[in-house]
Amino acid sequence: MTKTLTSLIVAAMLAFSMATIAQDNDETESRQELRSIDQDVQSLKKEVLDLNRDLFLLEEELLFPANSQVAFFISMDVGEYFELDSVNIKIDGKDVANYLYTEREVDALIRGGVHRIHMANLKTGDHEVVAIFTGKGPHIRDYRRGATLNFNKGIGAKYVELEITDRVKKQQPEFVVKEWE
Amino acid sequence: MRSLLVLLVFVASASYAAEDDDEIVIMDPQYGEVLFHFYQDDYFPAIVKLLAAQKQGQLDEHVEDAELLLGGMYLSYGHHLEAAAIFERMLADNVSVEIRDRTWFFLAKIWYQRGYHEKSQEALELVEGELPKNLQREALMMQAQILIETGEYDRAIALLQNWKGRTEWASYAKFNIGVALVRSGRVDEARVFLDELGDMNPFNEELSSLRDKANLALGYALLQDEKPMAAKAPLQRVRLEGPFSNKALLGVGWADAELGNFRRALVPWMELRGRDLLDSAVQESMLAIPYAMSELDSISQAADHYLNAIEAFYEETNRLDRTIAHIESGDLFDEFLSTGPLDSTGWYWELEELPEGPDSRYLFHLLASHEFQEGLKNYRDLNYLHRNLDGWQDSVDVFANMLETRKEAYDERLPRVEDALARADLDGMVSRKLDFDSTLNNIEESHDWLALATRSEFEMWGEVTSLESTPALRADIPEAAEVRDKIQLLKGVLQWQLERDFKDRLWRIRRNLDQAGEALVTAQRSRRQIDETMRNEPLRFEALSNRVYGLAPDIESIKMRVDDEMADQRGYLRDIAVGELQAQKQRLDVYTIQARFALAAIYDIAATEGEALE
Repeated sequence: MTKTLTSLIVAAMLAFSMATIAQDNDETESRQELRSIDQDVQSLKKEVLDLNRDLFLLEEELLFPANSQVAFFISMDVGEYFELDSVNIKIDGKDVANYLYTEREVDALIRGGVHRIHMANLKTGDHEVVAIFTGKGPHIRDYRRGATLNFNKGIGAKYVELEITDRVKKQQPEFVVKEWE
Repeated sequence: MRSLLVLLVFVASASYAAEDDDEIVIMDPQYGEVLFHFYQDDYFPAIVKLLAAQKQGQLDEHVEDAELLLGGMYLSYGHHLEAAAIFERMLADNVSVEIRDRTWFFLAKIWYQRGYHEKSQEALELVEGELPKNLQREALMMQAQILIETGEYDRAIALLQNWKGRTEWASYAKFNIGVALVRSGRVDEARVFLDELGDMNPFNEELSSLRDKANLALGYALLQDEKPMAAKAPLQRVRLEGPFSNKALLGVGWADAELGNFRRALVPWMELRGRDLLDSAVQESMLAIPYAMSELDSISQAADHYLNAIEAFYEETNRLDRTIAHIESGDLFDEFLSTGPLDSTGWYWELEELPEGPDSRYLFHLLASHEFQEGLKNYRDLNYLHRNLDGWQDSVDVFANMLETRKEAYDERLPRVEDALARADLDGMVSRKLDFDSTLNNIEESHDWLALATRSEFEMWGEVTSLESTPALRADIPEAAEVRDKIQLLKGVLQWQLERDFKDRLWRIRRNLDQAGEALVTAQRSRRQIDETMRNEPLRFEALSNRVYGLAPDIESIKMRVDDEMADQRGYLRDIAVGELQAQKQRLDVYTIQARFALAAIYDIAATEGEALE
C-alpha cells in the first residue's frame, strides 16, 4: 500500500518537474492576449499623438500668432573649442531667456539637434537680439561671449538661429547669427 | 539620406553612437528641433513636433528624411505597426538593399518580442541580401525559435543544423536543436547535441548558464525517458550555485531514487532543505526527503519531515494569499512605475528593480518573463499618455480663458478704434494730395516762379509792386525817377532769386508730395489690414473657440479610453502575476495533500504494526 502510494507521489512530482522544463500552452494564450492589448494600445498611441499634434498647433497659434511670431534657435557645429553651459537672450535690451544646458542636451546639439530656446511676439519693425554664451573655451577656460543681430520683423513668422561654430584657424569658437524667413 | 537611415537602423539596435559619422545638414530649423528631442530619446515630443511641422509644411527641405525619421521614432517608441507602414512605403525602391534588410530585421525583432510571430516571419522573409554576420545569426535564431514555438520542430532542426563555427550563437543553435528534438520525442538524438553542449568548457557567464540549461534539459528528458542512470551525469554537471542548481539537485536525487538508492538520493535533497522555499524544487524536496526516509524504514523521522513540510507549505500558502490580494487590488503596478521617472518612453525601457516589500520575492521571476515586461511597457506608455492628456486638459481650460479675455479686450477696444478710423479722412487726404499734384503741374507748366515764393518773399514782392503804383512816383522829378529805378532793381533782384530757386523748390515740393503720397498708400494699406482684421478677427475667434472647445471633449473621450485600456492592461498583468502565484499555490496544495496522504499512510502502518504487536 505504501509503495503504491509513494510511487504515485513520485509520478506526480516528476510530472510537475517536467512541466517546469517544458513550455506549456498558457504561454501561447498569454502571447495572443498581449498581442490583442498591444494592438489596442498601438491605435490609442496613434490617436493621442495626432491629438497632441493638433493641440500643439493650437497652442502655438494662440500664444504666438504667425504675424507676430519670432522663434530663436540654438545650434552647434562641431563645438570642439567650446563646451556650452548656458545661453542668455536679450531682445531690445530686455532679458527673455536664460537656459542652462544638461550634458544630454549639449550632446544632442553637437549631433545636429537644434534647440528652440525662446518664442516671442514682436511688432513689425526693427529689433535687436543679443545672445550671451557661457561655457568653457579652449584649454578649459571659462568663456563668455556675446553675439548681436539687428533684424527687421516683417508680417510673417521669423526664425533666428544662433549658431556656435569652430574657427579652426584661430582655434576659437565663433558665434554666428542666421535669419530664416 | 543614407546617414539618417544608418542612424535610424542603429537607433533600433540601441548602439548607434559609434556609427553616426555622416553629418546631417539641417535645412529647416524645425527639423533640427525634432532631432534635438530625438537624440535625447524623448520620442513622444519629437514625434509630436515632427507631425506638427509636417502639417504646417515646415519641412520642405527634409520631406523624405522626416518621413523616415518618423518611422524610426515610431519604432523606438514601440509604435511598430505605424513604423512598418512608413518603412513599407519608403523603403520600396529608394534605398540600398543593405539598409532595407537591416530595417526589416529590426522590425522582425520587435514583432517577435511583441508576439507578432507571423509578421516577424514575414519581415524576415523580406530580407533580400546578406545581413551582417551578427544580425544574420540573430535572424536565423529568431526564425528557428518561431518554428519551435509554433511546433514545427523538423523545420527548426533543419534550419539550425547548418550552423557553422564555434561561437556562442552556435551553442544556442545546438541547444535549440536539442529542445526541438526533445519536444518531438527524439530524446536519443537530442542527447548528442545537449551532451556536447553540457560538456563544453564555457568562457563566460552566458555560456556557463547555457551549459547548465542544456544539462538540466537533458537530465530531465532522460529521467522522463526512464534512463535514471544516464540522467545523473548531465545533472551532476550543473553548477551548485547557479540558478538551475535546485532543479539539478532535485533531479539527481530522483535519479538515485529511481535506481533504488535512497540513501544517496537523500544527499542532494538534504542540501536543498536549507534553500529558498519559493523554489518548486525546494518544495518538492521537502516531500522527497520523508519519502526516501520511509523507503529506508525511518518511519518516525519521515513523519516528522512530513509534518514540517505541511507546516511550511501552510505558511507559504498564507503568504501567497496576501500577495495575491495585494496584486488584485491593482496598486502593485503603479508602485512599479513609481520606482523610476516617467520623463521618457521607449522601446528599450525595462523594469530592473522591484519596489521593496514582502511581495517582491514572489515577483522576481516575473521580471524575466517576456510577456510581463512587454505588458508593463505598455502599461507605462498608457500611464504616460494619461498624464499627457491630463496636462492638456488643464491647458485647454487656460486656452479657453485666454481666448475669452482676448475677445473681451477686443470688443472693448473696437469702438475706440472705429471712432479713430472714422475721424481719419483718408479719402479727403488723397483728394487733397491729387489737387496739390495738379497745382504743382500748373506751376511748372506756366513757370510760375512766384507761386513757389516763401511767405516773406511773397509779402516783399507785394510790397514792392504796391510801391510801384504809388501816385507820387509818377511825378516827373529826379527823386521819383531814382525811387522807380530802385524799385525796378529790387523787383529784378527778387525775381532773379525766385527764378533761380524755382527748379530746386519745385523738386523739393514734388519730393515732399511724393513722400506724402507714399505715406498715404501705406496708410491706405494699413487701413485695409485693419478693416480685414476687423472683419476676420471675429471669425478667427470663432475658429479658435471651435478648436478649443472641440478638442476638449476629444481629450476627455481618449482619456477615458486610455483609462479603460490601462484597466485591461492592469488586468492582463494581474492575470499573469496572479496566475503565476496561483500555480505556486496549487502546487503547494497538491504537495500538502500528498504529504497528508503519506503521513496518514505512515500512521496507518504504525497503527497496524502496533495492533499486530499487541
